[in-house]
Amino acid sequence: MALTDAEIKELEEQAWQLRHDIINVTVWAGGAHIGGGLSMLDILVLLYFKYLNIDSAQPEMDDRDRVVVSKGHGGVGFAPVLARRGYFDFDDLKTFNQFGSPFGMHLDAAKVTGVDVSTGSLGHGLPMAVGLALGARTQNKAWKTYCILGDGECNEGTVWEAAMSASHFGLTNLVTIVDRNGYMIDGATEEVMELEPFSDKWRAFGFKVLEVDGHNFADLAEAIDTSLAADGPCVIIAHTKKGRGIDYMEGNVKWHYGSIDSTLAGKARESVDRMYGKA
Amino acid sequence: MGENRTLLATRILLKALFPVMKVVVTDDPKMGKRFEGVSARVRFSVTGEAEPLGTDVVFEEGELSVDATMEGAPDVVFSFKTAEKFNAFMAGKPVIPGIRGWKRPGLIIKVVSLLLAMKILMPDARPKQEDKQRLKVKMIVYMITTALSQYNKGGDPEMSKWTGKQPDRIYQMSVDGEEIAAYVRVKAGKTKAGRGIYTRRRPFVHICFNGIEGALPVLLGDVEFVEALGRQMVTVEGSPEYAANLNDYMQRIQALIV
Amino acid sequence: MSEVTGTTWTVYDANSMSQAEIYGHVLCEIGDERKDVVGLTADLAKSTKIGLFGDKFPERFFNVGIAEQNLFGVAAGMALSGMTPFVSTMAAFASMRACEQVRTDICYQNLNCKIIATHGGISFGTAGSTHNAQEDVAIMRSFPNMTVIIPADGIETANAVRACVDWDGPVYIRVGRGFEPTWYDTEDYGFQIGKAVTVSEGTDITLICCGVTVLQAAEAAKVLKEEDGLSVRVLNLHTIKPLDEEAVLKAVLETRRVITFEEHNIYGGLGSAVADVIAESGKGCAFEKVGLPDAFSLVGYPEDLYAHYKLDTNGIIEKVREVMGRDFEEDEDWEDEV
Repeated sequence: MALTDAEIKELEEQAWQLRHDIINVTVWAGGAHIGGGLSMLDILVLLYFKYLNIDSAQPEMDDRDRVVVSKGHGGVGFAPVLARRGYFDFDDLKTFNQFGSPFGMHLDAAKVTGVDVSTGSLGHGLPMAVGLALGARTQNKAWKTYCILGDGECNEGTVWEAAMSASHFGLTNLVTIVDRNGYMIDGATEEVMELEPFSDKWRAFGFKVLEVDGHNFADLAEAIDTSLAADGPCVIIAHTKKGRGIDYMEGNVKWHYGSIDSTLAGKARESVDRMYGKA
Repeated sequence: MGENRTLLATRILLKALFPVMKVVVTDDPKMGKRFEGVSARVRFSVTGEAEPLGTDVVFEEGELSVDATMEGAPDVVFSFKTAEKFNAFMAGKPVIPGIRGWKRPGLIIKVVSLLLAMKILMPDARPKQEDKQRLKVKMIVYMITTALSQYNKGGDPEMSKWTGKQPDRIYQMSVDGEEIAAYVRVKAGKTKAGRGIYTRRRPFVHICFNGIEGALPVLLGDVEFVEALGRQMVTVEGSPEYAANLNDYMQRIQALIV
Repeated sequence: MSEVTGTTWTVYDANSMSQAEIYGHVLCEIGDERKDVVGLTADLAKSTKIGLFGDKFPERFFNVGIAEQNLFGVAAGMALSGMTPFVSTMAAFASMRACEQVRTDICYQNLNCKIIATHGGISFGTAGSTHNAQEDVAIMRSFPNMTVIIPADGIETANAVRACVDWDGPVYIRVGRGFEPTWYDTEDYGFQIGKAVTVSEGTDITLICCGVTVLQAAEAAKVLKEEDGLSVRVLNLHTIKPLDEEAVLKAVLETRRVITFEEHNIYGGLGSAVADVIAESGKGCAFEKVGLPDAFSLVGYPEDLYAHYKLDTNGIIEKVREVMGRDFEEDEDWEDEV
């Protein structure tokens, strides 16, 4: 169902808060994959504050929806979302990356409440998501599986093996989202290893393709609704900006991974406030 | 190089086929009675070849044994002008051997009856009675294992190559539920056939027929080996490739001597 | 004259010829009792016997085609969804093509995936090195949370399959091509994951074996007893991880000579695991590892390869005699018995 204006406003509030959280966690962690954390944040906010059938008081709830953040290095964005959603105390994030901390670059499902699947090595997430979806269907369960991939990650062959099998098995309980921020470590995706025509590739593998602005809640919601109602697998190609919210980071490949000192952090916070009209 | 094919066939007939005459005398009560108390030496001789070929079938108080040394004066001699004629005779073709020893006409008749009884080994002989079926299976199992060994000793080039590269291995054949078993031991080109179950070592290949009902159709060639396996008429334990090789050589030998 | 035909068969017929179907049937039994069990493969349903499970429970069987990395990722996902996946493919692909998936998806998350890796070692013989798994045990041993089992025969495989259903965490069971001879005549000989089985008692020397070498060593021990008067202990160390260190130490102390036999590289497999225990014990012991050398295997039928690498009865006898430094008398009568 379409989002109401009130809902959109609430989601923007959450996103604003979380962008600040990401800046803080990056500082506490001494460095993080901040660019990619910010690009997928709106997708995560929509899922965790609107779509997912979850209960943070019952993280092991049998019928909960599952989320596979296949681009596992997005931990810096993912962890704050889980905290704000109530899975654990936000202040726990202050130990991020430190010796013995449950929080590291790639979130460990065994250590961080609310994480369904441990990811980090690219290309592993979609196959596991397919397995989850198949498992749900085999057990006649109604819960859904959401998988968020990076675009550079789609260089990996296993992504396509999984796509082929999702199509072959006719999965309708799987929502696949690609955070298409256009960059990877060594540069723009189209310069390092060309993905275009990207949509065509997904279509060739039997997926219906929905292309949206990955920072627009209304568009994203519509795409997710379509995907959930479809009679076959869908992929939502969410066009995003790496480093979204921090003007000196947006679209800058350098910020795939970086650390920020207090000056840069200050600038970042101001940028975020400006973005949400709170300057 | 090895012997030529005709002589190879003769060798196999003399050394593998003749010895199973013993089974007929011990297991067929009528035949056993016929030879009860008989003591004699019967010679089968091929005269026209470069070297003397033949074997003696020796009866001692009705007990049959085969003597390849041919030492001792024979009471009766069946002679053949060529190895080819001998092979044809043993294959049931109308060849008449020269026969000496008419002083003991009774013995000649008995021996002829034994030779006729050996026709049970012919490929088209399909005995209906259970004890005759058992006899045929037993004779084939004993004969084929000895024949395999003789085929190798006779120098067939492919068989020699096959045995040549193998370490000490036992190829066992048996019929489940019956006292019928024989084996061939192979080691670096040498072979030895034996009766019964080889106990000193586990067989490398064990072809085990499920009773006479399982054995006969397969040995007659009525049921193909793989089909027989599927129908559980026979089980093969061990290397399937080597079992197939063995099966292959058994077929070649049959083609050679029939 | 009849044509030479020999025996011809296809990969489909081969299934009715093999002795290793037993575990396929056990899996079907388990499937009856346990609705959470699912089977998965990568286009190898027929070759790996898991197809039997697939025939019986088609709604609980998934073939992902020739995509082993996806196979193990999907298996991990199914385990995460609460099911107990049995995944079967060839050992080479399980341990190498999908190595990272096994380690990072399955072991790292300690998931209940039970891997039945077929054609381990050189048991696929004629297929050559691309399909051999000479190093799979070394690889799997090195992953935390992984249990590694090499059953001696089809019956032990059935036991292992049954035992691993309730065993916590991932399990790697490595078997051959299915034509390996059967050693055990009953399933009730006391199979327990992590516990060595004493195949024969002895005091002169211990042969520590796994997989196909167990039967070969047991037969060798019989011959050595009869011909050489040797008292040979044979241990079936089917579980390489966790290793039954107690059994190894007992053998070291009580027989002082140990030879390990495995259808695996001598680096990192059973032999190395046993060597670790011996070295750390500080006890003196004559020790040798017999297995595949640090070279890619020759092509050939597995039985011939086993003979070549001294893993068959003849080879084991030879090795023992070498270690014991004894002469022997052969049975040299080559006359046919008529």
